[in-house]
Amino acid sequence: MTRAGKYFPFILFAFSGLWLACTQTRDPCLTPKIASFNVETMHLLTDTSTVFADTALPAAVFIPLARVDSNAGTIFPQQSDFTISLSPDSNVCRWQFTTDSFAFAFDTLTFYYQRNQQFISNACGFTYFYTLDSVHTTKHNIDSAHITNTSVTNNVNTKQLQIFIHPDF
Amino acid sequence: MSIQSNCRYLFILIFSVLLISGANDVFAQAADTVATDTTAAPKTKKKELAGHQLAIGIDLVHPVLNSLVSDRFGYEFALDYYTHNDLYLIAEGGWGGSTVDYSDLKYSTTNNFLRFGFNRSLLTRDRPTDWDMMFIGFRAGFADVSRSPATFTVLDSVWGSRPGIAAGKTFQAYWAELNAGMRVEFVRGLFGGWTARGKILFNGKSFNDLAPLYIAGYGKGDKNVAFDFNVYVSYGIRWKRKNVADTTAVAQKTD
Repeated sequence: MTRAGKYFPFILFAFSGLWLACTQTRDPCLTPKIASFNVETMHLLTDTSTVFADTALPAAVFIPLARVDSNAGTIFPQQSDFTISLSPDSNVCRWQFTTDSFAFAFDTLTFYYQRNQQFISNACGFTYFYTLDSVHTTKHNIDSAHITNTSVTNNVNTKQLQIFIHPDF
Repeated sequence: MSIQSNCRYLFILIFSVLLISGANDVFAQAADTVATDTTAAPKTKKKELAGHQLAIGIDLVHPVLNSLVSDRFGYEFALDYYTHNDLYLIAEGGWGGSTVDYSDLKYSTTNNFLRFGFNRSLLTRDRPTDWDMMFIGFRAGFADVSRSPATFTVLDSVWGSRPGIAAGKTFQAYWAELNAGMRVEFVRGLFGGWTARGKILFNGKSFNDLAPLYIAGYGKGDKNVAFDFNVYVSYGIRWKRKNVADTTAVAQKTD
């Protein structure tokens, strides 16, 4: 190996170090930053049936109570799966819910839970995950509500709540 | 394609060229060695003719990076001692830290670190005073990290933003490294060289409650695998081996 040959890669590699400076910005956040509270609506096939099936509601509405922005909630046309969220400010929060935005009464769902501070990454920062304790509901259109998984995280694929709609809906 | 992607690809390209260049040199030298061996006498135990060498080095890459980025800093030093059979014992150390000042996350860290291990030269010496080398090596690393309390804000479009605080903490980080690089002697005793490092963090889960943006000596604290490199300028202090000196003295008396 000649001396010049030895020096060449050394010098080249030294200069390449400057390119590391290109990667010093904050990385993009690629994971959900808000915990997903995933809800599934179901109903009895008939009054006497014991078999439940997914219910695609015609125009379900979820409205968070005491939200910062007081505009109306979200309308979900023809869906049986919904994603809502829990309040990081308190260990309890309420959502209003109706099966159809047209001429059906609202039910109030009250959720009780524990908050757990959670670091996601330097790119995404912190969020809160939750452990559900219980759910209470009024019964205008809802027959009952059952917690299927108490852990509410940023995993969008895990369902935490089943809402059973009255059979006569 | 983003500027970041361009930079990454350029960096990979340069690194690949260097590896190929280095490999060619090694193979060429190995071929020379094989050709010589065909006419050599039967194998005898190789006598160590090179003397002792203790080299002290300072890293130049991180001071340059410190001036280019504002969210982290680091300084690194290296000490290596030549034992025998192209094996060098290595001790490296330094300090550094990071300052995170995002709109939704703010904290700072400082840390010291130590790395111990060895380098094995891949080049056969041209002569006993030839100290140039391409090498591979291994390190075990340790860092003592101190993190300030972190303030953060959870941004929620439905319920509003909520601020919070994570308590400060002191913790340790442990990792292992595989290294490769080269070092050449510019003038007697004065070296320059680079070391590329691939690192695996062993205990990342123990500080998952807020992994530091940067651990000096390792890299990004929220990644279990990290890559890094250093450019060192070193100065070597040498002295003769006792057995080599004795042999020389006896030979002179005989003459």
